[in-house]
Amino acid sequence: MNILVTLKQVANPDISPSHIQLDPAGKRIVSPFGIPPVMNGYDANALEEALRLREKHGGKVTALGLGDDTSRESLKCAIAMGADTAILINDPDLLNADSAGVGRALAAAIRKIDDFDLILCGRQASDTDGGQVLHWIAETLDLPAVSPIVRIEAVDGRHLTVHRLIEDGYQRLRVELPALLGVSSEINEPRFPTMRGTMAAGRAMIPGWKASDLGLQPFTPKVELRQLQIQLRTSKADLIEGNSAAEQGAALANKLHDLGLI
Amino acid sequence: MAGVLVFGDTVGGELTPVSLEVATAGAGLADALGESLLGALIGDDLAVATREFRGGFSSLYLVEDKHYRPYTAQAYLNAAQKVIEACSPSVVLFAHTLGTREWVPRLAAHLDTGLVMDCTVLAAEGKDLVVTKPVYGGGILGEFVVRGGPRMATVRSAVFDPSSAAVATEVVRLDVPVPAPGRVTFVDEATVAAAGGLKLKDAKIIVSGGRGLGGKDNWHFIEETAAALGAAVGCSRPVVDSGWVPSSHQVGLSGTCVTPDLYIAVGISGAVQHLAGISAAKTVIAINMDREADIFTRANYGVVGDFREVLPAFVERIKQLRS
Ligand SMILES: Cc1cc2nc3c(=O)[nH]c(=O)nc-3n(C[C@H](O)[C@H](O)[C@H](O)COP(=O)(O)OP(=O)(O)OC[C@H]3O[C@@H](n4cnc5c(N)ncnc54)[C@H](O)[C@@H]3O)c2cc1C
Ligand SMILES: Nc1ncnc2c1ncn2[C@@H]1O[C@H](COP(=O)(O)O)[C@@H](O)[C@H]1O
Repeated sequence: MNILVTLKQVANPDISPSHIQLDPAGKRIVSPFGIPPVMNGYDANALEEALRLREKHGGKVTALGLGDDTSRESLKCAIAMGADTAILINDPDLLNADSAGVGRALAAAIRKIDDFDLILCGRQASDTDGGQVLHWIAETLDLPAVSPIVRIEAVDGRHLTVHRLIEDGYQRLRVELPALLGVSSEINEPRFPTMRGTMAAGRAMIPGWKASDLGLQPFTPKVELRQLQIQLRTSKADLIEGNSAAEQGAALANKLHDLGLI
Repeated sequence: MAGVLVFGDTVGGELTPVSLEVATAGAGLADALGESLLGALIGDDLAVATREFRGGFSSLYLVEDKHYRPYTAQAYLNAAQKVIEACSPSVVLFAHTLGTREWVPRLAAHLDTGLVMDCTVLAAEGKDLVVTKPVYGGGILGEFVVRGGPRMATVRSAVFDPSSAAVATEVVRLDVPVPAPGRVTFVDEATVAAAGGLKLKDAKIIVSGGRGLGGKDNWHFIEETAAALGAAVGCSRPVVDSGWVPSSHQVGLSGTCVTPDLYIAVGISGAVQHLAGISAAKTVIAINMDREADIFTRANYGVVGDFREVLPAFVERIKQLRS
């Protein structure tokens, strides 16, 4: 089974808002010095799942990203984890594209690669919190899409049985390949790069494709970012004091009782 | 194109509370745009939901069939498209749920139109739809102009007050042919019962545990505290990812947005993605060993200490106070 994984490089999501700065236009976040960007977490889960499927069923895993030159790092990391090849779409004209623009560019690249049974994406990117790009890819390629996926239970011939999250449990769905899945973090624990993989990543050639390579037409964005605004929290909780942790626990109960909360 | 169309959300034929909140958001926009407000419901057995879906809609569109339970993206997508064709709205709003997160972006792509999901503010500027949505986990607010026809948005729960306007003056039933089975077929559904039978969404009190609990073996501290308070059990994402409890207990951006009167966070650091789920909690209590943890910037009251010592004494005292 040949699997394509979409990988977005994002600012580290653990950076607290108080350390984030915006660019002068107020449209992009600037990572604090020394904190490198990372592979989007759900995409790392998607890659891990792809590697596990390859281990069981054979085939190859291709990582595909759209981003600036620095995004090569995440794609190299994907190879270090075990991906066979990686491709970057790095056209400055596409860097400010909305979900529709990014989705269509990725779809066009996937068409050009033209060798896949399954596309695995993250359920959402941790910078946009969008959850849209995967569906624009699926629509453009006319593929069935299911999200968020917490388990791939079975592979039989041209079908997968997957578990999709619902509010109080999950549903099992049978999906015909080729298909696209949006992966959630419950599905697995991504592996670390290996030494052998890291050496392979060092040698790997990651091509950079432009919009013109993909035959993309200029587009008008349907969603336009006007500005970002950092949300700072400055308030401080009233701390419950006591001579021991146990005393504090009892004092907390008294406090809640006095407040009429319990 | 004119009119603001609001899709209600139903689970097993019952209207969910967020539907009335989206109705409020829609009414505000319809007013500002000087357009009519329309409602729509897709589902099975909608008699009760139809009576409960207050919003002051001039028309309520119904697509009702056994086929819509259980939810599948393809069926909802198809039905919603028929509703939109029937009334050609300029704006369409949905609740932000696990279902709409799947089928609404596909609908936007299919209609080739603009969509922003998980919005907390919606405004009209002239004919433009301008929305705010939290990004980067919730630490940053993004303001977006949405274009296309119709312009679409999903609305975060627990942000708008529920509508108490009148029910629709007119109900329009649409006969939507059931689409042929697609490339995704439903097999079955498994519900994972909530601990103590209490659901996060409706809970007045929630006791929530995080990675600081240290392991599944310590989870009983959370369950015992919740039991003493008659509270629902919540958790942060690492707790779900480590398999200590099922996903349905997760609070936050990629879990549930909760609305309790009292939220007790134990061993939770207070990452923005977690705080995104408790912005509507009235009183927040934090129990954490680290005085510098971000959770103390959201909590009203806090205890700096080890949960293993704090919680047993807390539970003991609660039991005394309650007897
Ligand atoms: C796209 C995306 C979506 C996400 N969605 C969610 C979401 O919906 N919900 C969510 O919760 N997270 C979500 N996260 C994860 C989030 O970023 C944090 O990683 C997570 O919330 C941290 O969980 P935690 O606070 O339990 O763990 P930690 O951050 O590890 O905090 C553990 C805390 O426990 C304290 N502690 C340790 N030992 C003790 C003790 N003995 N007694 C008392 N305190 C102790 C520590 O001081 C620490 O503050 C998301 C992340 C991303 C990128
Ligand atoms: N620039 C990108 N490069 C590669 N994949 C992307 C990109 N943007 C989005 N994706 C994929 O689409 C998913 C959803 O993204 P989003 O709609 O931005 O939340 C991500 O988890 C990725 O798998």
